[in-house]
Amino acid sequence: MIKKLMILSILMLHVVYANNCLKCHQNKMWQLKHSLHYTLKDAINITRDTWGVKESNVTLQTLPEPKAVVTKPADLVDDFLRRKCLRCHLQSRQINKTGNICLACHNRHFNRYDAKKAIAPMSKCLKCHNNEYIGTNYLGLFPHDYDQSYRSPIMKNGDYPNTKYGIDQHHLISDIHHKKGLTCIDCHNKNHVKPGQGWDGVLSCTSCHKHLSKKYHKSYHKNISCSACHSSWSGDSYELNVLRDDTANYKQWSRLTMQEDPYLQKFLQKALKENPPPRPMMPDYIDNKLKPGIWYSGWLFRRWENFYLINSDNGKVMIARPMYQYKISYKNKNGKMVLNNVSKLNNGTPIQVFLPYTPHTITKQAKSCEMCHDNPLLQINARKNVILSNVLIPKRIVGGYFLTNKQIQQLHSKKYKLIRAKMLFLNKIQSN
Amino acid sequence: MKIILILLIFGTYVFSSKLPDNCMLCHKNTTPMDRYHPYSRFGCASCHGGDKYATTMDRAHQGMVLNPSRLGNAKIFCGKCHKNIIKRVNSSIMNNMHGIFDVLRYQFLQTKTIRHTKGIFFVKNIPTSKQTLAESHFSKMCAACHINQNEKIFTTNRKRGGGCVDCHRISGAKEIKVLNNKLTLIHPKLSTKIPSKNCLKCHNRSNRIGLSYFGKFESEGYGTPYHNGKLTHREGRDRFYYNLPADIHHKIGGLDCIDCHTQTGVMGDGKYHNHMEGAEDISCKDCHSPKFESSSKSYLTDMLITLNHNMPYPKEVAVTSKKGTPIYNLQKNGKTITFYRKRDGKAFKMPLLNNAPYHTEAIHKKLACSACHSSWIPSCYGCHEVYFKDAKQYDWIKHKMTKGNWMELRSYLRYESPTLAVGYNKKIMPAAPGCQVITTIYGKTKYGKTTVKHAFHSFAYAAWDPHTTQLKSRTCIDCHFNPRTLGLGAGILNLKNDKITFTPFYKSKKNGLPISYPIDALISKNGKQYQTFSRKYARGFNKKEVYKIIEAYKCIICHNSWNDKIYKNFKKSKKLFYSGKTVCYKEIFGNKK
Repeated sequence: MIKKLMILSILMLHVVYANNCLKCHQNKMWQLKHSLHYTLKDAINITRDTWGVKESNVTLQTLPEPKAVVTKPADLVDDFLRRKCLRCHLQSRQINKTGNICLACHNRHFNRYDAKKAIAPMSKCLKCHNNEYIGTNYLGLFPHDYDQSYRSPIMKNGDYPNTKYGIDQHHLISDIHHKKGLTCIDCHNKNHVKPGQGWDGVLSCTSCHKHLSKKYHKSYHKNISCSACHSSWSGDSYELNVLRDDTANYKQWSRLTMQEDPYLQKFLQKALKENPPPRPMMPDYIDNKLKPGIWYSGWLFRRWENFYLINSDNGKVMIARPMYQYKISYKNKNGKMVLNNVSKLNNGTPIQVFLPYTPHTITKQAKSCEMCHDNPLLQINARKNVILSNVLIPKRIVGGYFLTNKQIQQLHSKKYKLIRAKMLFLNKIQSN
Repeated sequence: MKIILILLIFGTYVFSSKLPDNCMLCHKNTTPMDRYHPYSRFGCASCHGGDKYATTMDRAHQGMVLNPSRLGNAKIFCGKCHKNIIKRVNSSIMNNMHGIFDVLRYQFLQTKTIRHTKGIFFVKNIPTSKQTLAESHFSKMCAACHINQNEKIFTTNRKRGGGCVDCHRISGAKEIKVLNNKLTLIHPKLSTKIPSKNCLKCHNRSNRIGLSYFGKFESEGYGTPYHNGKLTHREGRDRFYYNLPADIHHKIGGLDCIDCHTQTGVMGDGKYHNHMEGAEDISCKDCHSPKFESSSKSYLTDMLITLNHNMPYPKEVAVTSKKGTPIYNLQKNGKTITFYRKRDGKAFKMPLLNNAPYHTEAIHKKLACSACHSSWIPSCYGCHEVYFKDAKQYDWIKHKMTKGNWMELRSYLRYESPTLAVGYNKKIMPAAPGCQVITTIYGKTKYGKTTVKHAFHSFAYAAWDPHTTQLKSRTCIDCHFNPRTLGLGAGILNLKNDKITFTPFYKSKKNGLPISYPIDALISKNGKQYQTFSRKYARGFNKKEVYKIIEAYKCIICHNSWNDKIYKNFKKSKKLFYSGKTVCYKEIFGNKK
């Protein structure tokens, strides 16, 4: 009872102070409302475009209501966004129970003297920026597989391990900046997080690291992004299979309740026990109403070893990853398969997109030359022999384009071979 | 000899007017058995026992057995004709299961080295309360797959056990059925042409050879892609797979397990072998660089070809190099060498091992074929064994619920770039975790709370032929500069100032594992062995070997083909290079020296 009262009073406080932010920070509101954090324009439009919607420039605020009649993936995308992806937005109750938009990222403060309290802690960023999104990888976290047999290691009281950010996590090597104690906002300051427009070109490694030492930074590798070499691992999740099922068919998911959505996890665990089973309902995270149908998802597999290089639109060679390779199914409430494992649009375009990105898994020691130059996925002859290369190699890239033939040839140029051989032989030659 | 056999089999049809026993007077609607065991010749009682002259059911069924091929019965019934085989099967590793059990005891730290037991017959006599952890685990998890398992205990379609019929039954697997109350019995048919699906009833777990051969990789359980709103690619009840390249023998030839694995290798040679590899008979070379013997020498060849029906009588047949068993489906007539698929007699021209430098070169003499030709290996990292002392679970030996419940969890799966290690035969071959046991034993406190009573870990690798053979071998760099292949695990490998540097990705401590090294590291970059092998000679690469493999890569950068002349005498070539006289030295360093 006391606990409940305390929570209630804290919530009350939030409400009282909710509108008070604007008393002092009126000018910040304009900036915020034009930021990607507020509009989520990127995520929304890339997904809609991938699923075959023509109109662009839709924001979180102007996202249309889902279509009633579904015949193609484009009719379903708004429902998918509302109930799956947009679980994370500044005012989503899933991540920000207060209803105060500022408190999604900031802690509360009361006067100008305790303003430091309001600095955004990393934990608030990571509420959304986890899983496939850059954020938790900075800490070295990589999501476990869904199946319950991957909920390891089991804890001392015999329970499954505690989730971090709603997900069971592997611990891999973390970013060197994290090891040194930096948090998100040490690099991503307010001007980057809440810019007027997009944030390309606003922030780069070289804004801090101005004096690059070695020769190849400036010569033949000058068009390579820092992260292409200095990131250690890259989290890639291949083939996102999504199924909207409007029927109460839960049994096959009994081992897959960890759907990386706390609502769905709880719902499924309950539904599997109840008889008769409850109706399949899942919230629309924008209007917070329960709507019929459940979105299930599953991968082909997830890896941290692979990476693929592309030319980014900013002129640098960057690592790209699938975001995502969709396979879409929709079973309506009559049990009819409206869409059955659809992976291509009517015009033949694959429903998939690879995006360039900066893995936040930076190490001081760069990758070995071979990891790029002998990456079999990049070699035209070698890729034929790579297992499942049709999955690992993108069919469609947004925000960049494939390496040119010349670039691919350069990977195995004589110049490279001689330089690399010299690097490896030099020590022994000198000591001879 | 073969004439006698044919007479024996076909002659039986001629004299079929008189039945050898009275059973058929009631069981007249029984479907016929296979061509080798006609009722007209054998009747029923010679296999099933009972009183064959009786006229009442009770008398007739006295002392009768439903399944004469359960190994206990087989000695009496099948053994009338197949005495030698029954004896061999009885002492074989598939019957004793000591291969599994002995390694399990070693893995569970019960014995310091492999100590040999009678396997399942050793565990059988130990009451549940006195069982060690390994014995309990064996009874609850492993013993389900046993050739002499009681088939009736299985509720699903995948029934195992039954003795000889476990493998040799090709139809009527759902036991003898009584149709329409009319005593119409569907009798199982037996054959020596064992379909692979019979082998797969058991050989689908652990190193998963049975799945890999057909190109199935046990997946992380997603069941994707969905079809008609349902999970697909299911293998058994809770397991799923996705498709990877199948073994070339399956892809091109559609070969079954028995096309390579001889009867001596499978049913045993009458001797006691500690491990499967001792019992195993076949090797790649037996077919791809075969030795032939005149077929008239061997009675066994004659009999097997007669039973198979699908292939001609040859002048010469191949024999295995290890035990001299005839590979009767690999035949030589004059100069042509032909391989026949046992299932249907389809003929294939046998591709022979060529004499290209990559096969003959001294450097690679230590490699097993599978080291280069296996494209992937199922690697299951982290085997989290959880044991609840107070819960109950089905005991596959005692056939009832007994105290103690095991549950298995994992860390993650991979199939890429098989790790190489020195195997049990001192040859370099693919290896994968097998098994990385992290056991936690839970009990209850006085107040009924679940708590850890005991915990231990034992991390091991195992080397085996993964049965994912491809014609095209792995590339030079895939072995010579790939940290996963070397056994270091996933990470960044480099060579700086002639010293190996390695940054591993996986953080075992942070993942709550009780080990100080990455879970996928068999060895350290200095060749220190982190994880053990259950076999005597098996080990990861040592410091010298790791360096040697990586050092060769320096040359591979440019000389990445076996046709390159430097590999004709690699040692000499290297010497020449370091003396500064070669073209490539001058290209790399100029003419300074």
